[in-house]
Amino acid sequence: MNSLGQLAAIGFISALAAGGTFWLKGPPVRTLRCDPATLKPDEICLQQISPDEPVLWVDARHRKDWEKNGVPGSALWNLDADEDMQAFEADIAMRIMETPQVIVYCGDENCGLSRQVADRIRSLQLGAEVSVLHGGWRALSEAGMVKDSNPGS
Amino acid sequence: MKSALAIALMLTALVHAGELEFDEMNKEQDAAVDATTVTTDFAFTNKSDKPVSITKSDPNCSCLKVEISGGKLKYAPGESGVIRTTFDVGNTTGSVEKGIAVWLDDDPPDKPSVYLKVNIHVPVLVNLEPKTLSWAIGEKLEPKTIQIRIAEGSLIHVVDVKSKDTFTCELKTLEKGRSYDLVVTPKSVDLPDLSIIRIETDSKISKQKTQQAFAVVRKFTPAAAGVSRQ
Repeated sequence: MNSLGQLAAIGFISALAAGGTFWLKGPPVRTLRCDPATLKPDEICLQQISPDEPVLWVDARHRKDWEKNGVPGSALWNLDADEDMQAFEADIAMRIMETPQVIVYCGDENCGLSRQVADRIRSLQLGAEVSVLHGGWRALSEAGMVKDSNPGS
Repeated sequence: MKSALAIALMLTALVHAGELEFDEMNKEQDAAVDATTVTTDFAFTNKSDKPVSITKSDPNCSCLKVEISGGKLKYAPGESGVIRTTFDVGNTTGSVEKGIAVWLDDDPPDKPSVYLKVNIHVPVLVNLEPKTLSWAIGEKLEPKTIQIRIAEGSLIHVVDVKSKDTFTCELKTLEKGRSYDLVVTPKSVDLPDLSIIRIETDSKISKQKTQQAFAVVRKFTPAAAGVSRQ
C-alpha cells in the first residue's frame, strides 16, 4: 500500500471511530460548563445564584450590545472612552443601596473587562458584594436570561 | 505506515504554522493630562520558518483603533512589522487596561493566537481620599472627612460643593488651590441614605472639572467589612 493509501486508511478508521462515538454518546455538548471548584476567587457560576436572591446585573459590554440583548433591568458600566464614568458610578451607587449583590458580566468567558469594572465598583466602597460571572453573556444567554434569548441554544 | 504518519504530522504542523514574536505583549503608557489620543506600538518579528498572515484583529473597545504596518498582513520568515494602537482618551481618567486580540492564519474564531494589552494611565489632578464616607445605621453621629488634594504642579480651586440636604458639607481650605478638607455629617443615622457629593473645581481640563464622592448610611454586611464570597 502506498503512502496515500495508508493515509486514506487512517482517515477512514478515524472517521469510523468518530461516527461510532457520535452514534453511542450523541453530539458533543456545546453548552458552557462552570465548575465552582475551578473558579477564580472573585468569580461565580450562574448555577450558584439563588433565584430568590436579588441581583444587580452590570453589563460591561458596549452600550449598543447592552441595549440590544442585555439582562432586563441590568445597569451599564463599560470602560469605553466616550461614556460618562461619573454617571455610571452614580447610577450603580443608587442601585446598590437597594440591591447589594452585584454581578458583572461581559461578552465571553475570557473577557477581562468585567473584572476591571468589578474592581471599580468595589473601589466605591458602598458595601456591595461584587462578583464576576463565569462565562459572561454567553452563560446568561444559554439560560434564557437576556433580551431576545433562546434558552438552551 | 511511517510515511503516512509523516504526512499526517505535516498536515498538523501546517495548522500551527508560524509564530510572531513580540518585543512586549503588555505595555504601560503614561498619557499627558490633556492628551486626546495615546499611541502604542507593538513590534513583532516572524521567527518561524513559514510565512505568517494576520487574518483579523479585534480591540476590546471602540475607543481603540488598530493599524498593522500600513496594511501589510503577510510576513515572510524573519520579517518584522508593527501593530499600532491608538486609544481615544475621551473621558478617561486614572488607569484603564485595553486589549487587542490578533488572529493568525487558521486560528479558530474563539482562540486568537495573540492577545496584546496596554495599560494607559491618565493623570488624576484632583484626588479624593476616601471617595466614600460610610456610617453604620445606629452608630454615633459624627463628622467624617474627605481629603481633597491637588496633584503636584497644578493649582486648582474648589469652587462649589453640592450634596443631598440630608447631609451637611463643610469645605475647609488648607492651602488655596492645593489642599482642602470636606467635612461631611449625616443629619440622621437611623435609616439607610445615600448622597452623591459633587465637587466643582476650576480645572481647565473639562473632564476633571467635577469630582464625585459618596456619603452613605447603611447596614454593615460581611461584604462591607471586606469578607468576600469565598
